[in-house]
Amino acid sequence: MARARAMALLLLLLVAFTLVSTSAGSTSTFNVIRADRKVDLLTQVVRISTAWKVENSGTEPASEFKLALSAAQAERLAFIEVVIKGKGKNAAVVGLPVVDVAQEGSVTLYTLALPKALNQKETATFESYVALTHQLKPFPEEVTQADAQLVKYDDSAYILSPYPIKTQTAYFKVSSPRIESFTKVGTTKVVDTEVRYGPYENIEALKSKPITLHFENNQPFAVVEELVREIEISHWGNVYVTENYKLANKGARLKSTFSRFEYQARPGASGTSFRHLHAKLPVNAHSVYYRDEIGNISTSHLRSDFRKTELELEPRYPLFGGWKVAFTLGYCVPLQDLVFKASDGSRYLNISFGSPFNNIVVDKLILKVVLPEGSYDMSVSVPFPVEQGQEKKYSYLDTVGRTVAVMVKRNSVLEHQFKFVQVHYRFNSLGMLVEPLMLVMVFFAFFTACIAYTHFDFTLSKSSAAYLAQLQRDEVTDVLQRLQKLLAVRGQAEERLDASLKEATRTGDVAACKAARKAADAVWKGTSKDLKTLSDALESTVKPVPGKTSSVKSSSVLTKVESLLQKEKEMIEKVQQKQTVIVDAYERKLNSKEIDSRIAPVQEKLESLRQEVSSLISSLDD
Amino acid sequence: MALGSGEVGIPIYSPVPESLYPLLAVLLLTIGLLLTAFFFIYEVTSTKISRSLVQEFATGGAASVFLGFGTLFLLLWTGVYV
Repeated sequence: MARARAMALLLLLLVAFTLVSTSAGSTSTFNVIRADRKVDLLTQVVRISTAWKVENSGTEPASEFKLALSAAQAERLAFIEVVIKGKGKNAAVVGLPVVDVAQEGSVTLYTLALPKALNQKETATFESYVALTHQLKPFPEEVTQADAQLVKYDDSAYILSPYPIKTQTAYFKVSSPRIESFTKVGTTKVVDTEVRYGPYENIEALKSKPITLHFENNQPFAVVEELVREIEISHWGNVYVTENYKLANKGARLKSTFSRFEYQARPGASGTSFRHLHAKLPVNAHSVYYRDEIGNISTSHLRSDFRKTELELEPRYPLFGGWKVAFTLGYCVPLQDLVFKASDGSRYLNISFGSPFNNIVVDKLILKVVLPEGSYDMSVSVPFPVEQGQEKKYSYLDTVGRTVAVMVKRNSVLEHQFKFVQVHYRFNSLGMLVEPLMLVMVFFAFFTACIAYTHFDFTLSKSSAAYLAQLQRDEVTDVLQRLQKLLAVRGQAEERLDASLKEATRTGDVAACKAARKAADAVWKGTSKDLKTLSDALESTVKPVPGKTSSVKSSSVLTKVESLLQKEKEMIEKVQQKQTVIVDAYERKLNSKEIDSRIAPVQEKLESLRQEVSSLISSLDD
Repeated sequence: MALGSGEVGIPIYSPVPESLYPLLAVLLLTIGLLLTAFFFIYEVTSTKISRSLVQEFATGGAASVFLGFGTLFLLLWTGVYV
């Protein structure tokens, strides 16, 4: 049984192996008719663009073409793009995706998918574009402050290709007319600042002919060893971008010491050192900050108009070869500029992948996209291969943490500034309420704590005299408050009646006066019972205090209340009396003078009672 | 998954216009603080017996809603986008 299974496995492996070998064999069915290579050595980045004309020399239709790079180049490959340019003005540019990367000996092969398969003897033309970093080696490796920088570049005179090439040329464009040396291979000439190799005829597959160019290049070799770009989305209307740079000058190292005098005296002659960096920020970027571990760095300029926002930075010191500096750049971008809603209801962030700085090389770029808390179904689409990961981050008012999409790209160049990545995610709009509700809960918890504190009894000894006195005081205060409320109600009724009396003396409206009396009487009658119970309650709370605690104060309260109630009663009686007198007088049609004389004594008494009552009420508060 | 060149997403805006953040922060916090003041005045002037739990929770709850949202808009106004 086991034997049969092993046999089957072996057979399967064999089949698989033959399949692989046949597919590998079918690659060498192309013939390159013409290849023109242009190598741009103007900056620190080597940009190779090659125009290809290829022919299917095999018998089978072929749809995959392979490009080759040497191991040294493949290691430092930053960017690769192959396009078919149509003819005419508005011809569309079709990209050829790289579908496979394979290592074969010292050569790395990039397999491209052609838009349509080529039949026998059919031809196709396309252009490949490759950007490589760290290919220019400073030579000499150390220079003095004023020296120009010379660099060496190693390449092959022949294009490295897995197919035979019929005709080929190679033009190397250098940054200065000062070319120290170059390897001669067949027809080689220098035209202006260009070294031209070829044309070479009938070069077989994978043949290389090493050449070395040695020339002057004073471009700044600004290399960011590690760049962490963190992008944090807030649906309340903002996207934070924070970029941490570890910048180094990877040009020829500075020999001996730095002379500030020489640097200031001859500003132009300072070799490859540099002090300015230019960044193109998103148009509506605002709240830009530029700082390092010490604090803000004031040497920066921000220029913005409606089309662009540009930033010019100066590090704390000029950077000479081998020198390093670390800094942080941060800015805010309005939400609507970067985050969009797709037709399927999901949201996506659309942001440029590369660093906003021009002409820098990033050895390791880590892009982190921090999604709002509560996002789900995250997916990332990047137009070139990157290492992807996911982590959690805790930021403002977070509970479960925010999902972070992490993308790591080694060797990033300017081209990546124009490549956009999309981070798709789903988010429930109600999730935005979580944060304010959390704040509400915090405040509510505080208020609840206050309520609990005032309601619970934290006294340890429930029988202590002070505690009992406190309890009694509370009760007394409570009764007094209720009493005051009741008295206020009665007082109002009295005032209303008095007002109607005044009105009556002026207009002689006796009926209204009578009605007011009735209403006031009803109030007094209704409340007098409550008043009685309250005063009884007060008596009972004051009385049963055990031992000596029947203090002078509580008994004085009692007498005060008693006298207050007495006076209040009298006052009401007087008002009633006054009303009776007035109504009576009007019914007997007495003149106003007589009325006045009749109520005068009553009025006098009433006034004094009123004053006494109000002073007693306010003295109750003590 | 890759975004087609033809597909154009709709920009997402903040649910509350950003120009309203200062006004909302001041307004909500003022109301919240007034309610808080009222809450504490009530707490200290009433006694254990006369205190009404319903009123306490009503004032406290209303105050915390206003203070909570007020604080949120204050944070947003000052640039702390939560």
